[in-house]
Amino acid sequence: MPEGTLCNKQPIDTDEQLKALLGDKGGKVYYEEMKLLEVDQEKLQDTIRKTMKSRIKTWLKICAHCGMCADSCFLYRINDCDPKQVPAYKVQSTLGEMVRKKGRVDNAFMHMAMETAWAKCTCCNRCAMYCPHGIDMGVMVGYMRGLLYQQGFVPWEMKIGAGMHRVYRAQMDVTPEEFVDTFQWMVEEYEEEYAGLTVPVDKEGADIMYTVNAREVKHYPEDLAEAAILFTIAGEDWTIPSSGWELTSLAMFAGDWEACRMQVESVYDAMERLKPKRMIGTECGHAHRATVIEGPYWAGRPDGKPPVESIHYVEWVAEALRTGKLKIDPEKRIKKPVTLQDSCNYIRNHGLKEITREIMSYMVEPGYFFDMAPNKEHNYCCGGGGGFNGIGLYRPQRNKALITKRDQILGTGADLVIAPCHNCWDAIRDLEEEYEIGISWSFLKPLLIDMVIVPEHMKPEE
Amino acid sequence: MFNKILFATSATEACDHAARVAFAMAEKYNAHLEIFHVLGLPTRAYSQVVIEVKTRERIEIDEGYCDWVKEEVRMYYERFLEKLGDRYAIEVAIGVTHREILRTARNTNPDLIVMGGSTHHLEDSAYRQLITGSTFQRVSGAAHCPVLVVTRPAASFWGGFSKIVVGTDFSESADAAVDYGIKLARSLDCELSLFHAVDISGLAMGQVMIQDDIEEKLRVARKKMRYRYLPKLEGFTDYSIDAWEGIPYMEIVKYTREKQADLVIMAHHARRFEEKKDARMGSNLEQVIVRAGCPVLSINRTVGRQVDAEK
Repeated sequence: MPEGTLCNKQPIDTDEQLKALLGDKGGKVYYEEMKLLEVDQEKLQDTIRKTMKSRIKTWLKICAHCGMCADSCFLYRINDCDPKQVPAYKVQSTLGEMVRKKGRVDNAFMHMAMETAWAKCTCCNRCAMYCPHGIDMGVMVGYMRGLLYQQGFVPWEMKIGAGMHRVYRAQMDVTPEEFVDTFQWMVEEYEEEYAGLTVPVDKEGADIMYTVNAREVKHYPEDLAEAAILFTIAGEDWTIPSSGWELTSLAMFAGDWEACRMQVESVYDAMERLKPKRMIGTECGHAHRATVIEGPYWAGRPDGKPPVESIHYVEWVAEALRTGKLKIDPEKRIKKPVTLQDSCNYIRNHGLKEITREIMSYMVEPGYFFDMAPNKEHNYCCGGGGGFNGIGLYRPQRNKALITKRDQILGTGADLVIAPCHNCWDAIRDLEEEYEIGISWSFLKPLLIDMVIVPEHMKPEE
Repeated sequence: MFNKILFATSATEACDHAARVAFAMAEKYNAHLEIFHVLGLPTRAYSQVVIEVKTRERIEIDEGYCDWVKEEVRMYYERFLEKLGDRYAIEVAIGVTHREILRTARNTNPDLIVMGGSTHHLEDSAYRQLITGSTFQRVSGAAHCPVLVVTRPAASFWGGFSKIVVGTDFSESADAAVDYGIKLARSLDCELSLFHAVDISGLAMGQVMIQDDIEEKLRVARKKMRYRYLPKLEGFTDYSIDAWEGIPYMEIVKYTREKQADLVIMAHHARRFEEKKDARMGSNLEQVIVRAGCPVLSINRTVGRQVDAEK
């Protein structure tokens, strides 16, 4: 059974394998090898038999092909209502066929399925809200990604991302030492401005254990300082774990189920070790979904919950503003047109729509907040979710997908888009780069830092 | 004083003036020069695509590309490098420019960071020439060593430090700048001029200031400088103390010119850089940087504390 040296059915488990894959610029060799990759039909059928549970079986069967899901899909709408972009078609023509043919599918079919899984669906789950039967195509595509990953039909960056989690327990090559060192460095840089600023590492029994996205450590470490500043201003008893600090899961995007489990268990281990009262994750949507919503099932936790109560950053911000732990200087509220990006992963999939609007009510001067249309649980994906942002092979499709969000933003007339989600933040930045509509975009933290009242004891000595 | 110099460069014309000074300093003071280039901004989430800082092109990054860029940088500075023998290294990094400069400075602990002007020169405008680069502002605000910046060609024809001007507004950071100036003047056997400008820019805005008040302020400033700084100058004779009135940055530039100084040292006050779209004139330090006829060295509070501790 021919397998490539780079494109094969083996997951990445060592740094050497990672480097070899990264060294293949743009995945050229990888994708060439993929053209020759054989499908292990027996294994595919066996996996389907063992892993496809009654929910997906039922959904595949009861789908009436009514087409009610079509208009709910932003990719269908933006691609000139191409029938091949109807969610039901996308699933029936891929996963449905794999099941019906009992795994007897070929290389060309798997290429088509890969493109469907990663370039025609961002797993935003919007279609599920409009299906009369409640069928969630996003869930089924997520499941199909696992089958494709196992057979080696996975986009180059996704294989790398999943490999990073396996080797580093982080989406980028950041070691625990680098994480702690960078956090301490950032705190040092700001401690003069905010008296008493520290970063407690591995403190047991703290009220909050804070987890992040490795990209913050690698490229945007100011985000770490901002988190420390806001926790300190709010008087929180918080800590970071030296290991198990990565909230995100590119393994989830890749469909690498084993790496999903490995990654989330590292965070749960940190929870068990440090016994915090709560875990709070950074402003990231998919990371919250991975670690808080899906993760407990990957880790086989019987109660379906992480070891300690785990909340999204927006929940903490809303709580801190509500209870007065963070107070906003009314003079500094945002006084220009603002809109808010609802992240699919914690708005549609975790019901936090009112929480984020509560935050807006504190941060934005009345009259300056404009919701997108549609919004809340009906909002469209940013255009880059589910791994779409990171895949070079599907860049043209992704750029086209951004048009939906672009037009939604333009419809609000806002100058500033608040996006408390890494994926959304990236997509909005990219859409500005691509289409130059003259907007700015931001996470919550830097905006809050500019408007919260710093208590006297934290003000720098002059 | 200068054993290890970090030269942060875009390897473009914007940094040519700074390069001349950085290489001349390394040669003159026998220093090791680390030439550091941040080649692009990370983009596209976790993809390997980087926007090249020089060409604005999207490129797929790998080790081979980094090596190629290093070679490009080496070629760009080839004629300077010959004079340094093996006392240099070229490093490239991917990331947000100011953050990566600060990261490498933290790892290598240089005695000085040398930087050029704004890389926005391509979209040139009068306004662009009036402000320093945001990268400089961010680096000089947070660095743990002094940051030397050279933005004008006139500031780069330079034969070593012999006459130093230190501008002071009597703040804690300015005192640290004076301390550093004294240390440097002693170490390199330079002439030192301590200078304060009484700000009368309000006059143009209709603020009434009678001449007697201005002159009283000048007297007080001179007295204050003598009281504050003379004890630090014990045993050092080649100094002068002056106070002039005017727009502070203009007076510093004029004073530097009159003294034929080859270095101005000033304090960097602002901790955080605030991105603003509207044009702004910036601080006195920024204005001196874009106007002075010699390199400008900025000292922030962190460096000031280190100088204090050494004392």
